[in-house]
Amino acid sequence: MMDVGRHPKVELMTFSEVESITGFVGNFNVRVRQKARYVDASECTICAECAEVCPVAIPDAYQQGFSSRKAIYLPFPQAVPSAYVLDMENCLGNNPIACGKCAEVCEKKCIDYDDQDKFVDLEVGVIIAATGMDVYDPTAYDEYGYTRYENVITSMEFERLICAGGPTDGHFIRPSDRKAPQSIGFIQCVGSRSRDGRGNPYCSNICCMNTVKDTLLLCDHYPGIATKVFYMDIRAFGKGFEDLYMRSREEGVRYIRGIPGTVVENPENGNLVLTVENTTTGQLEEHELEMLVLSQGVIPRRDGDQIKHLLTLSTTSDGFIMESHPKLKPVDAPTKGVFIAGCMESPKDVKDSVTQAGAAAARASILLNAGKTRIEAITSQINSELCNFCGICAKVCPYNAILAPDRKAKKAPIIIQAACAGCGACAAECPQDAIGMRHFTNDQIMAQVDAILAVEPQKHLVTFACNWCSYAGGDNAGTARLQYPTSCRLIRTMCSGRVDEKFIMRAFRMGAPMVLVSGCHFADCHYISAVRWTQKRMDRIWSKLDRLGIRDDRLRLEWISAAEGQKFAKVMRELEDKVKSVTKEEIEFTMKVLAEEEAKAQEKKAKRQLEVTVL
Amino acid sequence: MHTQEKHKIDFSFREKLNGIAEGYRHNFCYQCGACVADCPAGMYSDHFNPRLILLKALLGFEDELIRPDSEIWDCTNCYTCAERCPQDVRPVDVIIALKNLCVRTGNAPELILKTSDPVLTSGITTKITSVVDRRRQEMGLAPVGTYPVDELKKITEGD
Repeated sequence: MMDVGRHPKVELMTFSEVESITGFVGNFNVRVRQKARYVDASECTICAECAEVCPVAIPDAYQQGFSSRKAIYLPFPQAVPSAYVLDMENCLGNNPIACGKCAEVCEKKCIDYDDQDKFVDLEVGVIIAATGMDVYDPTAYDEYGYTRYENVITSMEFERLICAGGPTDGHFIRPSDRKAPQSIGFIQCVGSRSRDGRGNPYCSNICCMNTVKDTLLLCDHYPGIATKVFYMDIRAFGKGFEDLYMRSREEGVRYIRGIPGTVVENPENGNLVLTVENTTTGQLEEHELEMLVLSQGVIPRRDGDQIKHLLTLSTTSDGFIMESHPKLKPVDAPTKGVFIAGCMESPKDVKDSVTQAGAAAARASILLNAGKTRIEAITSQINSELCNFCGICAKVCPYNAILAPDRKAKKAPIIIQAACAGCGACAAECPQDAIGMRHFTNDQIMAQVDAILAVEPQKHLVTFACNWCSYAGGDNAGTARLQYPTSCRLIRTMCSGRVDEKFIMRAFRMGAPMVLVSGCHFADCHYISAVRWTQKRMDRIWSKLDRLGIRDDRLRLEWISAAEGQKFAKVMRELEDKVKSVTKEEIEFTMKVLAEEEAKAQEKKAKRQLEVTVL
Repeated sequence: MHTQEKHKIDFSFREKLNGIAEGYRHNFCYQCGACVADCPAGMYSDHFNPRLILLKALLGFEDELIRPDSEIWDCTNCYTCAERCPQDVRPVDVIIALKNLCVRTGNAPELILKTSDPVLTSGITTKITSVVDRRRQEMGLAPVGTYPVDELKKITEGD
């Protein structure tokens, strides 16, 4: 971090928060709030005289609350910039009559109680987000007694206690009587690999090796200390990890496969007694330990929602940020020009974080060095003459690529071509048909519908398939040589969000017995959240069909991923039976009803136009 | 394993358990042993171990589990294991499913049947004697009435 702070080409903005991000790849406008630190960082020489006179003492978060700090403090010894900061919430100095001691003793006069937050506007080309993670709070595991017993600590607290810069200067002692413990236990997987609602279902990745490292530190500093690790699986999967694990075993650390039950404190000496089944022998064992470390898992940042909204990122089911593609674009965010790195993407260790950060920086510099970027020609365009300034398009765009219209000034929305990814949700939702998609125009798709239903319409299943998942799922079924009926006729769209109500109604009007709309599963949508608009639109169309007296199960919605060739074939077989079940009378009735609807709509439109001309 | 003789592994038993209400979670078990450490039955009995019962169920040792003297009958249904289990397997629910399987196949211990049979004939588990009736009268409680046994029978037949 020191190196970064000193680098001539890196501007480090600490104690700052991103307020807003607008724009698109190459042209992001970022507004940063630089919080008031009340100390002039360029003048401060960290002489520490201010902290000496400060009368306030509060728990030091950096030392996990094991020691205290003053209201004016250095966050941690290697902090960049190397300057004190004033914690205004706890300071008495905002009323100079009450205190103001630090300002009196500061020779450089760099303390200013009237300092204000500053806003800095930046113009940047690409953004790399690396906001990290938080640790799991083990309070929910009440049987381990973390909140009741002083000598039960977390792995983060262990880290402070054994660190030379920690509250005890590296003398490892237990909190209750400040004596060096002679026996210590570690419980693994606290808050990880659990489906019971108290913890997280995923493996936290780093805790096994962290514990192995901790046991080796103990063996190094305090030979003779009895160390026991209670685990269910030790996951030493990385380069050199198994070596470290074996070294720990050779040093005499006892690894006991079994998760302990209730921990009870011996009130006389503060020792902790736990029962555990050693699953390798099947015997119950009782262990008395002087100290117990809970190897806590990791969780996504608790305040991560803000950055998610700013950058239109989405998360996977575990709460970590989703990458653009798990194998081929592991550091790209779905929004162009935004990259992700480190633990905001998934729990990982230092090496993996550095690897990913390097990859993200390289991906970013490709864009920056080229100075220009290619975009797919499939983008949306707006016909401002047809627009009625309703603003629905700006609302549905998952990429914030559409600048909302101005109803009063009669200004049509503007579509930023560089930010548009081409899903077509805006075109499908536009009530005025003012938005067209390049290469997937309304006319093109309508022509495909007409062509499918030109001959023997009652035998054909009109299928809309999204380019990334369902169409590829069809391919998959084909390459796997799965048999399915020949009735289906595919129309490819980039996203199921492109499928307009018009297309479906046209198909029914032309005599289609069944219509299938298929897209990616919610979590896999290649256009962040466009598939959600498909769902909403389909709900709307189903109720409309109901109203018109048309069986709503003649319109089907299916989520089929690229790997689900089996499912594709299954759905096709299922729908073949459905197609056959639709009677001729039913089709004729549908065509009649829809023709009437169409005539009514046209009449209305003509009337409105007439009114306009009369006016 | 406690048993010395060789066993035939039979994975079809898992599917059999899947079909019984509350018995479907056993597939998630990763044998961590969290259910054993706090099990009160396990503390007083050498052979009762919920983890091993789960393992036997997963491996299909049906002949060991489904029998009148099976260790599953030592379970007191205290649900401590359900609280400890990180995988939400709820071993006690699986054990209850196994017990139901025992009863269905006529492998329930006699003692259990002696307790459960009165429910079908009288609607309650304990026989009401004249002593009990007198006691209730002394305490000012209403006498225990009769229960609609024929309705109960219909309900159990419906299963």
